[in-house]
Amino acid sequence: MSGPTTPEFLARARDEQRDMVEQYYRDLASAGGPKRPVAYMLVGGNLTEIVRAFGYEVVFPEIVALNCAIKHVSLPNILNAESQGYGLDVCGYVKNDLGLQEMGGETPFGKIPKPDLLVCSFSGCYVYVKWWEALAERYGVPLFVFDVPYMRDRAPQAEDLAYVVTQLEEFIAFLEKTTGRSFDRAELTRVLAQSRRAEEGWVRYLRSGTHRPSPIEAYFEAVFYMFPINVLRGTATAADFYETVNAEVDERIRLGMYPVPEEKYRVVVEGVPPYPSYRTFWDFFRNWGAVSVAATYPKVGGLFDRGFLHDPARPLESIAEYSLGAYVNQSWPLRRELIADYVREYSADAVVIHGIKSCRSFTAGQGDLRDWLIHEKGVPTLYLESDHEDPRYFAPAQIKNRMDAFFESLEQRGATASAAGVAP
Amino acid sequence: MATPLPMYPPTDETSAPRLELAEDLREFRDAANLEAVVKLAREVVEDPSYPTVRAWALHGGKAVGCFPVYTPQELIHSFGLLPVSLHGGGEHLEISHADAALGSFLCSISKSTLELALTRQLAPFQGFVFPYICDVSRNLEGLFPRLLPGPETHMLHLPQNFHTRAAVPFLTAEYRRLVVKLERLSGRPYDPDALAASMRLFNTHRARIAELNALKRTSPAKVSLIESYLLRRLGGLLPRELHLQLLDRFLPELERRPARPKDAVRVLLVGSFCEQPTLDLVDLLEQVGCYAVDDEFLQIHRWHGPIEPGDDPLASLAAAYVNAPIDIGVRATPTTKGEAILERVRVADAQAVLFLTAKFCEPALEDVVLYRRALDAQKIPYLHLEYEERSTAYEQSRLQLETFVESILFN
Repeated sequence: MSGPTTPEFLARARDEQRDMVEQYYRDLASAGGPKRPVAYMLVGGNLTEIVRAFGYEVVFPEIVALNCAIKHVSLPNILNAESQGYGLDVCGYVKNDLGLQEMGGETPFGKIPKPDLLVCSFSGCYVYVKWWEALAERYGVPLFVFDVPYMRDRAPQAEDLAYVVTQLEEFIAFLEKTTGRSFDRAELTRVLAQSRRAEEGWVRYLRSGTHRPSPIEAYFEAVFYMFPINVLRGTATAADFYETVNAEVDERIRLGMYPVPEEKYRVVVEGVPPYPSYRTFWDFFRNWGAVSVAATYPKVGGLFDRGFLHDPARPLESIAEYSLGAYVNQSWPLRRELIADYVREYSADAVVIHGIKSCRSFTAGQGDLRDWLIHEKGVPTLYLESDHEDPRYFAPAQIKNRMDAFFESLEQRGATASAAGVAP
Repeated sequence: MATPLPMYPPTDETSAPRLELAEDLREFRDAANLEAVVKLAREVVEDPSYPTVRAWALHGGKAVGCFPVYTPQELIHSFGLLPVSLHGGGEHLEISHADAALGSFLCSISKSTLELALTRQLAPFQGFVFPYICDVSRNLEGLFPRLLPGPETHMLHLPQNFHTRAAVPFLTAEYRRLVVKLERLSGRPYDPDALAASMRLFNTHRARIAELNALKRTSPAKVSLIESYLLRRLGGLLPRELHLQLLDRFLPELERRPARPKDAVRVLLVGSFCEQPTLDLVDLLEQVGCYAVDDEFLQIHRWHGPIEPGDDPLASLAAAYVNAPIDIGVRATPTTKGEAILERVRVADAQAVLFLTAKFCEPALEDVVLYRRALDAQKIPYLHLEYEERSTAYEQSRLQLETFVESILFN
């Protein structure tokens, strides 16, 4: 067992990402409020490109919530929401946001402006609907519910696409009426071209996890790099950012600077991170020389790495396909197969599943996934539980013990296999 | 996968009672009176092995289990299949395996439904439909084909955008996907005339349930909540034709009952649209001095009014779902939650609201906050109780309810 390593590989791109986040929140919080009207949107199946084409700033309360958690300021927001009546069993993202809204929206990274428009992309999470209903009642602003059918087949079905495209046409008409602006198809095409460029860069970054040793950390590091693909998609800033990232990944390979200098275990991670204890959790992996080479959580905004990219030549159709393809909008059989594919394609040794109390969409059934991976696929799999937002549910000693036991067993298995002269 | 999975060794062991019924379910037809039917209903509900479905299977009948809250059961019926409302395992079912598959922090009904599958108590069913009412019900469907191989399963995406012109065509297409599985299961082709006939039967059935609900609202002393509840619960467990006969027989009897009103608070029950409280808790509500004049139990029997089958019965069925003026936690609200609860209080002529929500039921829990704000603004009293399927001790609930009732009666 090696000691913790310094994440030296996080250099220019990480700094640039930090600046980008800070600038984004500064713009939102600029004196007198943002320069443009604000749309609140959800990450899964979001309609960023269309809303941007109508001149809106976009706020993602889920991302605000995770920023609060990672900066250790989520608990006061959660407690405020609980004092409003939101119980212990309500999603931590919802409670962080509704508590924050109640307290005026002030965060250490800037003031979150109130919405002028609420766009509820119901894509893989039912709580989205409830959350946006609460915001609509609070602010009395227009709410558009964008209903995205659940994916039960590998490819979108014609009737699902027709349903989603019709809603997109109606959404555009709704925005024309709300803003008084005409829809500019050329502007949407231009925005989508930027999205596609960012997506191509993001996929290249993610695929570099196939290298051995891995030049990226596909869970803990990729979470930082999700920000542009989700929040700034459709801008040149996001697209340019991935060029910087990929140049840095090339340099890591050239210099031999890897996230885990002595890569011992390559793991696929499933589930949402425990943001309030992000560094601690990451250290538990690094302590064992474990690097995540692929992960499902960075795909919540879209499964770009499985072949989907926005197509400016088919704007609404490709936005429809994108919305259908959010990771948690996939049925369990599709999710299971995706994870097994990752294990194979990325030559992973094991899977670590992190279930969270807050998110039933992600978590309900993860125990069965563990069983399937172990007994039907022969993949060593560890299941852990805490929360992504509420620090009260992260038990570090218990999680560390479980992880230590798991990696010890992997070590033992490797030693046994090696002694027997076979591949572990 | 025909062999048991290592993690969940299947077992037929259960501590629950097991009721045996005749294949023509004559016990219901031959019941001496309403009290006998209600007693039998209680035994059926408390038996997690679905005795009515086992009886139906004795003559080769096939059954499709429908997870709450809404499935177009007329459509299933039109194929000669028995649509059955699933409501979890109840208080007698011990959860031994389902926790491991589903994870912690989840509602009882999801775990007990999976436990029933793992312990082979859903063996009398040949198919299952899970509507997308929440993320847990949706995910549960994804586990069934692996953990209970054999039966057809279907995840039904019910639309949440009720303003789009595409909702009815989409839902019609969703129903067509279900039709493909029902054809396979029943060995019959889809027949629009058969569907129209089933829709007419269900129209009549809903009309009778509406009469029962109206009686409870206007003369709550004539029918207790537990009677009304058990009668409605039977509606999702018996063939509709038989249940309709029971309602036709007993509704006039209930209306003729002498009303002996007591000093009780008229309450609207909100939140129990999916997982059901134990029968003891349902009983307790009126024991402590409430009249439950309206509730959210068993919405399947009251989702919409009569549906005219028209030229395309499938599209008519879809339109009825989309246009139904239902406002519960698992359906995007057409107005605002505040307006909706105040209107329901007004229609029910309720003095107070009792939130009765299942532990971990996020759709219900989030609505409660918005409802409470609206009630606070109008000074309408309310109380919130949470329950789980395997609750057995009600002393705290009794105390809360008694205090709540007294505070209203003596103010």
